[in-house]
Amino acid sequence: MSPVPRWLEPLFPYRQHAVTVNGRTMAFVDEGPRSGRPVLLLSGNPTWGFLYRDFIGPLTAAGYRAIAPDWVGCGYSDHPRVDAALTFAHHIADLVSLLDQLELRGFVIVGQDWGGPQGVGAALQRVERLSALVLMNTWLFTGLVSRFHASARPWTTWHAPLVGPFFMRRHQVLSQHGPSATSRRGMTQTEARGYHHVFEEPDSDHVVLTWPRTIPMREGDRGWADMRVIERRLPELSAVPTLLLWAPEDEVFPIEFGNRLKELLPHAEGPIPFDRARHFLQDERGPDLARATVEFLNRAAGAGR
Amino acid sequence: MNFITPAAEELALYRADPLLWDQEIDVRPEVAEAIEQAAGRRSGRVYWRSRHDHLYALELADLGRGRPSMAMVLGFWDRWEPRPPEHEIDADLMDFCLWVARQAPGMDPADVARVAQFADIKTTWPPGAALRTPEERFSNLPDFPYEPRYVEIEGLRMAYVEAGSGDPLLMLHGEPTWGYLYRRMIPPLAGAGRVIVPDLIGFGRSDKPALANAYTYKSHVRWVRGFIEGLNLERITLVAQDWGGLLGLRVLSQVPERFARVVAMNTGLPEGSGATDAFLKWRRFSQRVEALDVPQLMRATLKRRTLGEAEAAAYQAPFPSREYQTAALVFPRLVPIRPDHPGAYDNRVAIERLKTLDVPVLLPWGAEDAITAPAERHLRSIFRNAAPPLWIAGAGHFLQEDAGEEVAGHILRWMESTWTSTSHPKNSNSATICAPG
Repeated sequence: MSPVPRWLEPLFPYRQHAVTVNGRTMAFVDEGPRSGRPVLLLSGNPTWGFLYRDFIGPLTAAGYRAIAPDWVGCGYSDHPRVDAALTFAHHIADLVSLLDQLELRGFVIVGQDWGGPQGVGAALQRVERLSALVLMNTWLFTGLVSRFHASARPWTTWHAPLVGPFFMRRHQVLSQHGPSATSRRGMTQTEARGYHHVFEEPDSDHVVLTWPRTIPMREGDRGWADMRVIERRLPELSAVPTLLLWAPEDEVFPIEFGNRLKELLPHAEGPIPFDRARHFLQDERGPDLARATVEFLNRAAGAGR
Repeated sequence: MNFITPAAEELALYRADPLLWDQEIDVRPEVAEAIEQAAGRRSGRVYWRSRHDHLYALELADLGRGRPSMAMVLGFWDRWEPRPPEHEIDADLMDFCLWVARQAPGMDPADVARVAQFADIKTTWPPGAALRTPEERFSNLPDFPYEPRYVEIEGLRMAYVEAGSGDPLLMLHGEPTWGYLYRRMIPPLAGAGRVIVPDLIGFGRSDKPALANAYTYKSHVRWVRGFIEGLNLERITLVAQDWGGLLGLRVLSQVPERFARVVAMNTGLPEGSGATDAFLKWRRFSQRVEALDVPQLMRATLKRRTLGEAEAAAYQAPFPSREYQTAALVFPRLVPIRPDHPGAYDNRVAIERLKTLDVPVLLPWGAEDAITAPAERHLRSIFRNAAPPLWIAGAGHFLQEDAGEEVAGHILRWMESTWTSTSHPKNSNSATICAPG
């Protein structure tokens, strides 16, 4: 497993671990006491564990075991060159394999963007072992499409057939600009590079194309069937303590998505709004979100198992 | 390779995993053309089932050069579950590569085999990859004096004991026990035939792969079938309880010609239409617990008997520590409780085949078992040649412990009254229903 580069260490001083899941290397950060309750920090497109750098310290200080895996295709995990290896179901099965191999019991899923449906999709396969859920600017349902996701410019044009590879792959508009261009507070150059450098190797960013193409907008879309299964199975989570943290200024998953999640998971706390943040809220309001998460977990599950 | 057409319902349960991708198979035009001929198409997809019962497809595309040019081999795995151990995939892909070599002019399967040997490709469990419970754990087993014997299956050692001679009685245990469970039934039944009591892979004296993804409903079925084929058992009287039935009845549906009778006890063949509250409670407990205290569990579940210290310890003997318990910890979540649960579709297919069999069936059922009570009626609705209900009053889930001698007596009397498969014309016809492959 390649360590994070020296220039990134001051911002991300964590060791990378790896396991093989479904024939691919999955990298993850694993900090805090082994005996602590495992908290899985799940990012989305096009980020990696780096997005959660402000969570790891507070969680481990409170006695939790913070595990931040990079989805296959992202961060320090394998970057397959075959799009068909990067489906919704592959990502879910990859995380299930990690849960199995680390033998995690009583785990917590913290998910934003694709970290939500993929994290919950995996948790549903091991639902008895799930002890709490924290969701931020994500979705677990069909039938509600944000204006951003429906818009021709830039979104659906970015990943349209044949046009998508030109913008997303040849010119890397998302993998080299996404998080930094969206940042409300403005990122330092080193922070931006922290997100972008994992896609510097040519032809290494297939996942930034396959993920948008998986967003279920209409019945029959690639991600539709899996998202419907997740939506149908949400009642299985009715006894799982759940917290919704939201950045209402996010145009990708505006507050309507948080409200819809609240309807589907009525026992959830929140959605608690966090201003001064857009889609990558963990980057913009990290310490505040981490504090809210730790406070909730202490109440709902506790750091011991 | 036998190409098949899987049902859309089955395909929807899987994710297609690209395993091999070749963008220029017409680099050797004669190979591309031979594949086209063997597959019966220039573009599109053909499917086959491997020796591990996994579904694969070869996807071909014609890039306008008058022959297939691009090819992808896809493996189909349970949609949201980790894929099987890599050596199973390697074995199946080796079979595919040998097939390619057999089709193509100028290619020799022997070369493929030699290169595989050179590359040290593992197609079974490598020696030492699975845990093996030390034999001294099995000294001093009360009432279980039988010498262990072994059959090798896919590189794993599957243990069994046997007593008596004649047509085989195959006794299959379930979760979280081992062959020891049948010790009170072996002596009486050994007078009626060759009693064979295996330990499922992951249990008893059998090998125990440490990886959770080694254990699926499908792999356990394959191992039990491999055991039967390894010993070449025929005219079998199946005696099965708990997972023993979930597995044995599936094997029965695959190779019915090997079976003469079926005794199914406190078991089932779930189609994925929910579960009893008692089962869901057990499932939840088993998935959250760090390790199973099997003696305590057995004592809590038995209704008539109380286990002595040495008997209780015998149930923990296979598991020196929790690393040995992977199979036992995984089993409860493999029971199909949702329609799309892995195994549910296969069970629905199996049930349709079982409905066509005339095999005589006896269903002795421990009456004090909330987990499997509804399954008795379900099985009765499947088998048209089932004996009248036989509820064993006061006995629980493990009726081999609660009422072993009594149940053995019922089985003996019933065996005398039933046909044997060789003399039963309808039953031997059923052999043609499911030729493997």
